[in-house]
Amino acid sequence: MNERSYSGIWIFGDYRNYFQNRVTLQLIAKARGLARTLKTEVTVLLLGDHVHQYAMEYVAHGADVVMVVDHAALRHYQVETYTKVVAGLVAEYRPEIFLAGATPFGREFFPRLAKRIGTGLSADCVALEIDPESGLLIQTSPSFGGDLLADVVTPDHRPQMATVHPGVFEEQPHNGSAMARIVYPQVEIESDDRVQILRSRAEQKGKVRLEDAPVVVAGGRGLGSREHFDKLFELAELLGGEVGATRPAIRSGWAGNERLLGQTGKSVKPKLLITIGTSGALQYTTGVQGSETIIAVNRDPDAPVFKIADLGLVGDARTILTLLLEKLRKRL
Amino acid sequence: MKHRESLISAHHNYLVDDMLTPGFLLGELSSREEFFFLADVVPSGESGPRISGRLFDREGRFLVELSGGEMVQNPSGCTLQSFSGGFRLIHPSGETLLNVNTHVFTNGFMTRIQGRLFDHNGKLRAEPSRESIKISGGGKPALEKPER
Repeated sequence: MNERSYSGIWIFGDYRNYFQNRVTLQLIAKARGLARTLKTEVTVLLLGDHVHQYAMEYVAHGADVVMVVDHAALRHYQVETYTKVVAGLVAEYRPEIFLAGATPFGREFFPRLAKRIGTGLSADCVALEIDPESGLLIQTSPSFGGDLLADVVTPDHRPQMATVHPGVFEEQPHNGSAMARIVYPQVEIESDDRVQILRSRAEQKGKVRLEDAPVVVAGGRGLGSREHFDKLFELAELLGGEVGATRPAIRSGWAGNERLLGQTGKSVKPKLLITIGTSGALQYTTGVQGSETIIAVNRDPDAPVFKIADLGLVGDARTILTLLLEKLRKRL
Repeated sequence: MKHRESLISAHHNYLVDDMLTPGFLLGELSSREEFFFLADVVPSGESGPRISGRLFDREGRFLVELSGGEMVQNPSGCTLQSFSGGFRLIHPSGETLLNVNTHVFTNGFMTRIQGRLFDHNGKLRAEPSRESIKISGGGKPALEKPER
Protein backbone atom coordinates (compact mmCIF):
# COMPACT_ATOMS: atom_id res chain seq x y z
CA MET A 1 0.00 0.00 0.00
CA ASN A 2 1.21 3.49 -0.81
CA GLU A 3 -0.22 5.53 2.02
CA ARG A 4 0.97 8.74 0.38
CA SER A 5 -1.82 8.38 -2.15
CA TYR A 6 -4.45 8.52 0.59
CA SER A 7 -5.49 11.85 2.03
CA GLY A 8 -8.33 13.58 3.78
CA ILE A 9 -10.57 12.73 6.70
CA TRP A 10 -14.01 11.40 5.91
CA ILE A 11 -16.94 11.19 8.24
CA PHE A 12 -20.04 9.19 7.45
CA GLY A 13 -23.05 11.52 7.78
CA ASP A 14 -25.45 9.60 10.01
CA TYR A 15 -28.40 11.97 9.95
CA ARG A 16 -31.04 9.57 11.23
CA ASN A 17 -32.76 11.18 14.19
CA TYR A 18 -30.54 14.17 13.38
CA PHE A 19 -31.56 16.62 16.06
CA GLN A 20 -30.99 14.11 18.87
CA ASN A 21 -28.14 12.10 17.39
CA ARG A 22 -25.29 14.62 17.31
CA VAL A 23 -22.39 12.24 16.91
CA THR A 24 -21.66 13.22 13.30
CA LEU A 25 -21.37 16.86 14.38
CA GLN A 26 -19.12 15.84 17.27
CA LEU A 27 -16.92 13.94 14.83
CA ILE A 28 -16.70 16.93 12.49
CA ALA A 29 -15.41 19.08 15.35
CA LYS A 30 -12.85 16.47 16.37
CA ALA A 31 -11.82 15.81 12.78
CA ARG A 32 -11.10 19.50 12.24
CA GLY A 33 -8.45 19.30 14.93
CA LEU A 34 -6.98 16.14 13.41
CA ALA A 35 -7.10 17.72 9.94
CA ARG A 36 -5.12 20.73 11.12
CA THR A 37 -2.36 18.39 12.27
CA LEU A 38 -2.42 16.45 9.00
CA LYS A 39 -2.93 19.62 6.89
CA THR A 40 -5.90 18.13 5.12
CA GLU A 41 -9.68 18.56 4.71
CA VAL A 42 -12.72 17.18 6.50
CA THR A 43 -15.31 15.65 4.18
CA VAL A 44 -18.73 14.46 5.28
CA LEU A 45 -20.16 11.71 3.09
CA LEU A 46 -23.93 11.88 2.84
CA LEU A 47 -26.10 9.19 1.27
CA GLY A 48 -29.87 9.38 0.97
CA ASP A 49 -32.81 10.86 -0.87
CA HIS A 50 -33.42 14.63 -0.61
CA VAL A 51 -30.72 15.17 1.98
CA HIS A 52 -30.10 18.86 1.17
CA GLN A 53 -30.91 20.00 4.69
CA TYR A 54 -28.30 17.75 6.25
CA ALA A 55 -25.63 18.84 3.76
CA MET A 56 -26.24 22.42 4.92
CA GLU A 57 -26.15 21.41 8.58
CA TYR A 58 -22.79 19.71 8.18
CA VAL A 59 -21.37 22.84 6.52
CA ALA A 60 -22.70 24.95 9.40
CA HIS A 61 -20.91 22.68 11.85
CA GLY A 62 -17.51 22.80 10.19
CA ALA A 63 -17.23 20.44 7.20
CA ASP A 64 -14.82 21.63 4.50
CA VAL A 65 -16.46 19.42 1.88
CA VAL A 66 -19.79 17.62 1.70
CA MET A 67 -19.93 14.68 -0.70
CA VAL A 68 -23.52 13.84 -1.58
CA VAL A 69 -25.01 10.82 -3.28
CA ASP A 70 -28.69 11.71 -3.52
CA HIS A 71 -30.80 8.95 -5.01
CA ALA A 72 -34.24 7.46 -4.40
CA ALA A 73 -32.69 4.01 -3.96
CA LEU A 74 -30.77 5.33 -0.93
CA ARG A 75 -33.84 6.58 0.89
CA HIS A 76 -33.80 3.62 3.25
CA TYR A 77 -30.62 2.08 4.55
CA GLN A 78 -29.97 -1.20 2.80
CA VAL A 79 -26.69 -2.65 3.84
CA GLU A 80 -25.65 -4.17 0.53
CA THR A 81 -26.47 -1.06 -1.50
CA TYR A 82 -24.80 1.29 0.96
CA THR A 83 -21.71 -0.92 1.28
CA LYS A 84 -21.30 -1.15 -2.48
CA VAL A 85 -21.69 2.59 -3.03
CA VAL A 86 -19.39 3.68 -0.21
CA ALA A 87 -16.73 1.06 -0.97
CA GLY A 88 -16.67 2.36 -4.55
CA LEU A 89 -16.26 5.94 -3.35
CA VAL A 90 -13.46 5.00 -0.97
CA ALA A 91 -11.63 3.18 -3.77
CA GLU A 92 -11.97 6.24 -5.99
CA TYR A 93 -11.27 9.11 -3.59
CA ARG A 94 -8.94 7.25 -1.16
CA PRO A 95 -9.50 8.97 2.20
CA GLU A 96 -6.77 8.50 4.77
CA ILE A 97 -9.16 8.31 7.72
CA PHE A 98 -12.84 7.36 7.75
CA LEU A 99 -14.95 7.83 10.90
CA ALA A 100 -18.53 7.12 11.91
CA GLY A 101 -20.56 7.36 15.08
CA ALA A 102 -20.92 4.20 17.12
CA THR A 103 -24.68 4.36 16.72
CA PRO A 104 -26.71 1.22 15.96
CA PHE A 105 -26.33 2.22 12.29
CA GLY A 106 -22.57 2.77 12.47
CA ARG A 107 -22.05 -0.43 14.40
CA GLU A 108 -23.75 -2.44 11.69
CA PHE A 109 -22.54 -0.61 8.62
CA PHE A 110 -18.88 0.17 9.34
CA PRO A 111 -17.68 -3.37 10.10
CA ARG A 112 -19.20 -4.57 6.81
CA LEU A 113 -17.65 -1.69 4.97
CA ALA A 114 -14.22 -2.27 6.51
CA LYS A 115 -14.38 -5.93 5.53
CA ARG A 116 -15.37 -5.02 1.98
CA ILE A 117 -12.57 -2.47 1.67
CA GLY A 118 -10.05 -4.76 3.33
CA THR A 119 -8.94 -2.53 6.17
CA GLY A 120 -9.13 -2.55 9.96
CA LEU A 121 -11.74 -0.97 12.19
CA SER A 122 -11.58 0.15 15.81
CA ALA A 123 -15.02 0.06 17.39
CA ASP A 124 -16.54 2.36 20.00
CA CYS A 125 -13.49 4.59 20.33
CA VAL A 126 -13.39 7.05 23.20
CA ALA A 127 -10.40 9.10 21.97
CA LEU A 128 -8.67 9.88 18.67
CA GLU A 129 -5.28 11.53 18.22
CA ILE A 130 -2.62 11.81 15.55
CA ASP A 131 0.72 10.28 16.48
CA PRO A 132 3.19 13.16 16.01
CA GLU A 133 5.96 10.88 14.72
CA SER A 134 4.19 8.51 12.37
CA GLY A 135 1.16 10.63 11.50
CA LEU A 136 -1.01 7.59 12.19
CA LEU A 137 -4.41 7.86 13.81
CA ILE A 138 -4.30 6.56 17.37
CA GLN A 139 -7.70 5.03 18.02
CA THR A 140 -8.37 4.51 21.71
CA SER A 141 -10.89 1.75 22.15
CA PRO A 142 -12.11 -0.26 25.16
CA SER A 143 -10.82 -3.83 24.88
CA PHE A 144 -10.99 -7.15 26.71
CA GLY A 145 -14.58 -6.67 27.73
CA GLY A 146 -13.94 -3.07 28.64
CA ASP A 147 -11.26 -3.75 31.23
CA LEU A 148 -8.53 -2.05 29.20
CA LEU A 149 -8.26 0.95 26.95
CA ALA A 150 -6.18 0.00 23.93
CA ASP A 151 -4.43 2.45 21.61
CA VAL A 152 -4.86 0.98 18.16
CA VAL A 153 -3.12 2.05 14.95
CA THR A 154 -3.60 0.88 11.38
CA PRO A 155 -0.14 1.11 9.82
CA ASP A 156 -0.59 -1.07 6.75
CA HIS A 157 -4.09 -0.48 5.44
CA ARG A 158 -6.17 2.48 4.40
CA PRO A 159 -8.38 4.13 5.27
CA GLN A 160 -7.87 4.06 9.02
CA MET A 161 -11.41 3.40 10.17
CA ALA A 162 -13.06 3.90 13.54
CA THR A 163 -16.47 4.23 15.07
CA VAL A 164 -16.65 6.72 17.92
CA HIS A 165 -18.87 6.69 20.92
CA PRO A 166 -21.49 9.49 20.96
CA GLY A 167 -20.90 12.23 23.51
CA VAL A 168 -17.14 11.83 23.69
CA PHE A 169 -16.42 15.00 21.71
CA GLU A 170 -18.12 18.40 21.71
CA GLU A 171 -19.77 19.68 18.52
CA GLN A 172 -18.99 23.14 17.15
CA PRO A 173 -21.77 25.74 17.32
CA HIS A 174 -23.94 26.25 14.22
CA ASN A 175 -22.41 28.87 11.93
CA GLY A 176 -24.97 30.12 9.40
CA SER A 177 -22.34 32.12 7.52
CA ALA A 178 -20.21 29.10 6.64
CA MET A 179 -19.52 28.07 3.05
CA ALA A 180 -17.95 24.87 1.78
CA ARG A 181 -17.50 22.76 -1.33
CA ILE A 182 -20.15 20.25 -2.30
CA VAL A 183 -19.28 17.30 -4.51
CA TYR A 184 -21.75 15.04 -6.32
CA PRO A 185 -20.04 11.85 -7.56
CA GLN A 186 -21.72 10.20 -10.52
CA VAL A 187 -22.45 6.82 -8.98
CA GLU A 188 -24.26 3.94 -10.65
CA ILE A 189 -26.68 2.64 -8.05
CA GLU A 190 -28.31 -0.74 -8.13
CA SER A 191 -30.90 -1.49 -5.49
CA ASP A 192 -30.63 -4.67 -3.54
CA ASP A 193 -33.49 -6.69 -5.04
CA ARG A 194 -33.37 -9.25 -2.26
CA VAL A 195 -34.70 -6.77 0.28
CA GLN A 196 -37.68 -4.50 -0.16
CA ILE A 197 -38.42 -2.02 2.58
CA LEU A 198 -42.15 -1.51 2.80
CA ARG A 199 -42.17 1.01 5.61
CA SER A 200 -40.12 2.10 8.57
CA ARG A 201 -41.18 3.59 11.84
CA ALA A 202 -39.32 4.91 14.84
CA GLU A 203 -39.21 2.82 17.98
CA GLN A 204 -41.55 4.26 20.59
CA LYS A 205 -39.43 5.33 23.50
CA GLY A 206 -40.14 7.15 26.69
CA LYS A 207 -39.09 10.75 27.08
CA VAL A 208 -35.81 9.86 28.73
CA ARG A 209 -33.28 12.66 28.17
CA LEU A 210 -30.44 11.42 30.29
CA GLU A 211 -27.93 13.53 28.37
CA ASP A 212 -29.63 16.78 29.45
CA ALA A 213 -30.42 15.86 33.06
CA PRO A 214 -28.54 17.92 35.69
CA VAL A 215 -28.69 14.96 38.07
CA VAL A 216 -28.37 11.32 37.12
CA VAL A 217 -29.00 8.49 39.55
CA ALA A 218 -27.53 5.27 38.21
CA GLY A 219 -28.04 1.77 39.47
CA GLY A 220 -26.26 -1.52 38.94
CA ARG A 221 -26.51 -5.16 39.86
CA GLY A 222 -25.58 -4.37 43.47
CA LEU A 223 -29.15 -3.20 44.04
CA GLY A 224 -30.15 -6.83 43.90
CA SER A 225 -33.71 -6.60 42.63
CA ARG A 226 -36.18 -4.69 40.50
CA GLU A 227 -37.91 -3.57 43.67
CA HIS A 228 -34.79 -1.80 44.89
CA PHE A 229 -33.90 -0.46 41.47
CA ASP A 230 -37.36 1.16 41.26
CA LYS A 231 -36.46 3.25 44.31
CA LEU A 232 -33.98 5.09 42.08
CA PHE A 233 -36.93 6.68 40.29
CA GLU A 234 -38.14 8.25 43.51
CA LEU A 235 -34.63 9.42 44.30
CA ALA A 236 -34.28 10.93 40.83
CA GLU A 237 -37.63 12.67 41.17
CA LEU A 238 -36.68 14.14 44.55
CA LEU A 239 -33.43 15.47 43.07
CA GLY A 240 -34.91 16.62 39.75
CA GLY A 241 -32.94 14.11 37.75
CA GLU A 242 -33.13 11.00 35.60
CA VAL A 243 -32.35 7.34 36.13
CA GLY A 244 -29.55 5.53 34.34
CA ALA A 245 -28.51 1.91 34.49
CA THR A 246 -25.56 -0.35 33.90
CA ARG A 247 -25.64 -3.20 31.40
CA PRO A 248 -26.20 -5.89 34.10
CA ALA A 249 -29.20 -3.95 35.46
CA ILE A 250 -30.66 -3.69 31.95
CA ARG A 251 -30.04 -7.39 31.36
CA SER A 252 -31.87 -8.16 34.60
CA GLY A 253 -34.87 -6.37 33.14
CA TRP A 254 -34.91 -3.61 35.76
CA ALA A 255 -34.83 -0.79 33.16
CA GLY A 256 -35.20 -0.27 29.42
CA ASN A 257 -32.27 -0.01 27.05
CA GLU A 258 -32.85 3.74 26.68
CA ARG A 259 -31.40 4.16 30.20
CA LEU A 260 -28.16 2.34 29.47
CA LEU A 261 -25.05 4.32 30.41
CA GLY A 262 -21.54 3.73 29.16
CA GLN A 263 -19.68 2.54 26.15
CA THR A 264 -22.66 0.95 24.39
CA GLY A 265 -25.24 3.31 25.85
CA LYS A 266 -25.35 7.01 26.59
CA SER A 267 -22.56 9.29 27.73
CA VAL A 268 -23.66 11.80 30.36
CA LYS A 269 -22.04 14.79 32.00
CA PRO A 270 -24.49 15.87 34.75
CA LYS A 271 -23.66 18.20 37.58
CA LEU A 272 -24.25 15.31 39.97
CA LEU A 273 -24.06 11.57 39.38
CA ILE A 274 -25.06 9.20 42.17
CA THR A 275 -24.03 5.72 41.18
CA ILE A 276 -25.35 2.99 43.42
CA GLY A 277 -24.45 -0.68 43.36
CA THR A 278 -22.25 -0.26 40.31
CA SER A 279 -18.81 -1.85 40.33
CA GLY A 280 -17.27 0.67 37.94
CA ALA A 281 -16.39 -1.47 34.93
CA LEU A 282 -14.56 0.54 32.30
CA GLN A 283 -17.36 0.20 29.75
CA TYR A 284 -19.62 1.94 32.28
CA THR A 285 -17.25 4.61 33.60
CA THR A 286 -16.29 5.80 30.09
CA GLY A 287 -19.86 7.05 29.75
CA VAL A 288 -20.13 8.84 33.10
CA GLN A 289 -16.66 10.07 34.00
CA GLY A 290 -17.38 13.55 32.60
CA SER A 291 -19.88 14.18 35.44
CA GLU A 292 -19.00 17.21 37.58
CA THR A 293 -19.48 15.45 40.91
CA ILE A 294 -19.71 11.71 41.38
CA ILE A 295 -20.99 10.00 44.52
CA ALA A 296 -20.50 6.25 44.47
CA VAL A 297 -22.01 3.58 46.71
CA ASN A 298 -20.63 0.06 46.80
CA ARG A 299 -20.03 -2.51 49.47
CA ASP A 300 -16.58 -3.40 48.08
CA PRO A 301 -14.01 -0.79 49.15
CA ASP A 302 -11.81 -1.84 46.23
CA ALA A 303 -14.52 -1.41 43.61
CA PRO A 304 -13.12 0.51 40.60
CA VAL A 305 -16.03 2.96 40.76
CA PHE A 306 -14.35 4.69 43.70
CA LYS A 307 -11.46 5.69 41.43
CA ILE A 308 -13.72 8.14 39.57
CA ALA A 309 -15.79 9.17 42.61
CA ASP A 310 -15.50 12.48 44.44
CA LEU A 311 -17.27 10.94 47.41
CA GLY A 312 -17.42 7.21 48.11
CA LEU A 313 -19.75 5.42 50.51
CA VAL A 314 -18.77 1.86 51.39
CA GLY A 315 -21.83 -0.12 52.36
CA ASP A 316 -24.82 -2.10 51.17
CA ALA A 317 -26.40 -0.30 48.22
CA ARG A 318 -29.96 -1.14 49.23
CA THR A 319 -29.52 0.07 52.80
CA ILE A 320 -27.84 3.31 51.82
CA LEU A 321 -30.45 3.98 49.12
CA THR A 322 -33.26 3.46 51.63
CA LEU A 323 -31.62 5.76 54.18
CA LEU A 324 -30.94 8.40 51.58
CA LEU A 325 -34.57 8.38 50.50
CA GLU A 326 -35.78 8.70 54.08
CA LYS A 327 -33.53 11.70 54.67
CA LEU A 328 -34.51 13.41 51.43
CA ARG A 329 -38.23 12.87 51.95
CA LYS A 330 -37.95 14.70 55.27
CA ARG A 331 -35.90 17.57 53.90
CA LEU A 332 -37.73 18.21 50.61
CA MET B 1 -15.40 8.44 -11.45
CA LYS B 2 -16.86 11.69 -12.72
CA HIS B 3 -18.30 14.18 -10.31
CA ARG B 4 -19.91 17.58 -10.33
CA GLU B 5 -18.87 20.23 -7.86
CA SER B 6 -20.29 23.45 -6.48
CA LEU B 7 -20.26 25.65 -3.42
CA ILE B 8 -22.78 25.30 -0.61
CA SER B 9 -23.92 27.79 2.00
CA ALA B 10 -24.98 26.80 5.50
CA HIS B 11 -27.80 29.35 5.35
CA HIS B 12 -29.49 29.33 1.95
CA ASN B 13 -29.01 27.57 -1.37
CA TYR B 14 -30.71 27.33 -4.73
CA LEU B 15 -31.25 23.93 -6.30
CA VAL B 16 -29.83 24.07 -9.81
CA ASP B 17 -29.58 20.96 -11.94
CA ASP B 18 -30.13 18.97 -8.74
CA MET B 19 -27.10 20.58 -7.10
CA LEU B 20 -27.06 23.10 -4.29
CA THR B 21 -25.43 26.45 -4.91
CA PRO B 22 -25.46 29.66 -2.82
CA GLY B 23 -26.20 31.69 -5.95
CA PHE B 24 -25.74 31.88 -9.71
CA LEU B 25 -25.73 34.39 -12.51
CA LEU B 26 -26.70 33.91 -16.13
CA GLY B 27 -25.64 36.60 -18.59
CA GLU B 28 -24.06 39.95 -17.79
CA LEU B 29 -25.30 42.09 -14.94
CA SER B 30 -23.67 45.21 -16.34
CA SER B 31 -25.71 45.16 -19.55
CA ARG B 32 -28.69 47.53 -19.56
CA GLU B 33 -30.68 45.82 -22.28
CA GLU B 34 -29.56 42.26 -22.61
CA PHE B 35 -30.64 39.13 -20.79
CA PHE B 36 -29.50 38.32 -17.29
CA PHE B 37 -30.83 36.17 -14.46
CA LEU B 38 -29.43 36.50 -10.98
CA ALA B 39 -30.24 34.17 -8.10
CA ASP B 40 -28.13 36.08 -5.63
CA VAL B 41 -26.41 34.89 -2.46
CA VAL B 42 -28.68 35.37 0.56
CA PRO B 43 -26.73 36.71 3.53
CA SER B 44 -27.16 35.06 6.91
CA GLY B 45 -30.08 36.78 8.63
CA GLU B 46 -32.24 37.17 5.50
CA SER B 47 -34.96 34.61 4.97
CA GLY B 48 -35.98 34.87 1.32
CA PRO B 49 -34.33 34.38 -2.06
CA ARG B 50 -32.93 37.30 -4.03
CA ILE B 51 -34.16 36.97 -7.61
CA SER B 52 -33.50 39.52 -10.32
CA GLY B 53 -33.50 39.23 -14.10
CA ARG B 54 -34.28 40.65 -17.48
CA LEU B 55 -36.34 38.02 -19.28
CA PHE B 56 -37.17 37.56 -22.96
CA ASP B 57 -39.43 35.27 -24.96
CA ARG B 58 -38.29 32.64 -27.45
CA GLU B 59 -38.33 35.28 -30.20
CA GLY B 60 -35.95 37.47 -28.20
CA ARG B 61 -38.63 40.04 -27.29
CA PHE B 62 -38.26 41.76 -23.93
CA LEU B 63 -40.90 40.57 -21.46
CA VAL B 64 -40.18 41.75 -17.97
CA GLU B 65 -37.46 42.86 -15.58
CA LEU B 66 -37.36 41.69 -11.98
CA SER B 67 -35.36 43.22 -9.19
CA GLY B 68 -35.32 41.65 -5.73
CA GLY B 69 -38.36 39.54 -6.60
CA GLU B 70 -40.43 42.52 -7.82
CA MET B 71 -41.28 43.68 -11.34
CA VAL B 72 -39.59 46.94 -12.28
CA GLN B 73 -40.37 46.83 -16.03
CA ASN B 74 -43.27 44.96 -17.52
CA PRO B 75 -44.07 45.87 -21.14
CA SER B 76 -45.60 42.46 -21.82
CA GLY B 77 -48.21 42.64 -19.06
CA CYS B 78 -46.99 39.70 -16.99
CA THR B 79 -48.42 39.14 -13.55
CA LEU B 80 -46.55 38.24 -10.40
CA GLN B 81 -48.43 35.93 -8.05
CA SER B 82 -47.15 35.54 -4.52
CA PHE B 83 -47.90 32.49 -2.46
CA SER B 84 -46.70 31.09 0.82
CA GLY B 85 -43.02 30.35 0.30
CA GLY B 86 -42.54 31.98 -3.08
CA PHE B 87 -43.93 33.56 -6.23
CA ARG B 88 -44.68 32.76 -9.85
CA LEU B 89 -44.41 34.97 -12.92
CA ILE B 90 -47.19 34.43 -15.44
CA HIS B 91 -47.26 35.53 -19.06
CA PRO B 92 -50.57 37.01 -20.39
CA SER B 93 -50.95 33.80 -22.43
CA GLY B 94 -51.24 31.89 -19.14
CA GLU B 95 -47.82 30.29 -19.38
CA THR B 96 -45.82 30.24 -16.14
CA LEU B 97 -42.47 31.79 -16.97
CA LEU B 98 -40.90 31.35 -13.59
CA ASN B 99 -41.77 29.58 -10.36
CA VAL B 100 -39.73 30.32 -7.24
CA ASN B 101 -40.44 28.25 -4.16
CA THR B 102 -38.49 28.39 -0.89
CA HIS B 103 -38.42 25.46 1.54
CA VAL B 104 -37.75 26.27 5.17
CA PHE B 105 -35.50 23.90 7.10
CA THR B 106 -34.83 24.01 10.82
CA ASN B 107 -31.71 26.14 10.41
CA GLY B 108 -31.76 27.26 6.80
CA PHE B 109 -33.60 27.60 3.49
CA MET B 110 -33.52 26.14 0.02
CA THR B 111 -35.10 27.66 -3.07
CA ARG B 112 -36.24 25.73 -6.12
CA ILE B 113 -36.50 27.72 -9.34
CA GLN B 114 -38.42 26.32 -12.27
CA GLY B 115 -39.01 27.87 -15.63
CA ARG B 116 -37.91 28.21 -19.22
CA LEU B 117 -35.76 31.31 -19.70
CA PHE B 118 -34.66 32.76 -23.04
CA ASP B 119 -32.08 35.45 -23.69
CA HIS B 120 -32.30 38.46 -25.99
CA ASN B 121 -31.33 36.24 -28.95
CA GLY B 122 -34.11 33.79 -28.18
CA LYS B 123 -31.59 31.23 -27.00
CA LEU B 124 -32.73 28.87 -24.23
CA ARG B 125 -30.71 29.59 -21.06
CA ALA B 126 -32.66 27.68 -18.43
CA GLU B 127 -35.10 24.79 -18.62
CA PRO B 128 -36.85 22.47 -16.17
CA SER B 129 -34.77 19.55 -14.92
CA ARG B 130 -36.33 17.08 -12.47
CA GLU B 131 -37.04 19.23 -9.42
CA SER B 132 -35.07 22.28 -10.44
CA ILE B 133 -33.67 23.99 -13.53
CA LYS B 134 -30.77 23.25 -15.79
CA ILE B 135 -28.81 26.30 -16.86
CA SER B 136 -26.55 26.86 -19.85
CA GLY B 137 -24.44 29.57 -21.44
CA GLY B 138 -22.17 32.19 -19.93
CA GLY B 139 -22.34 33.38 -16.36
CA LYS B 140 -21.29 32.27 -12.91
CA PRO B 141 -22.71 28.93 -11.77
CA ALA B 142 -21.67 29.31 -8.11
CA LEU B 143 -21.48 32.70 -6.42
CA GLU B 144 -19.51 33.06 -3.23
CA LYS B 145 -20.89 36.45 -2.18
CA PRO B 146 -23.80 38.71 -3.17
CA GLU B 147 -23.51 40.35 -6.60
CA ARG B 148 -25.90 43.14 -5.64
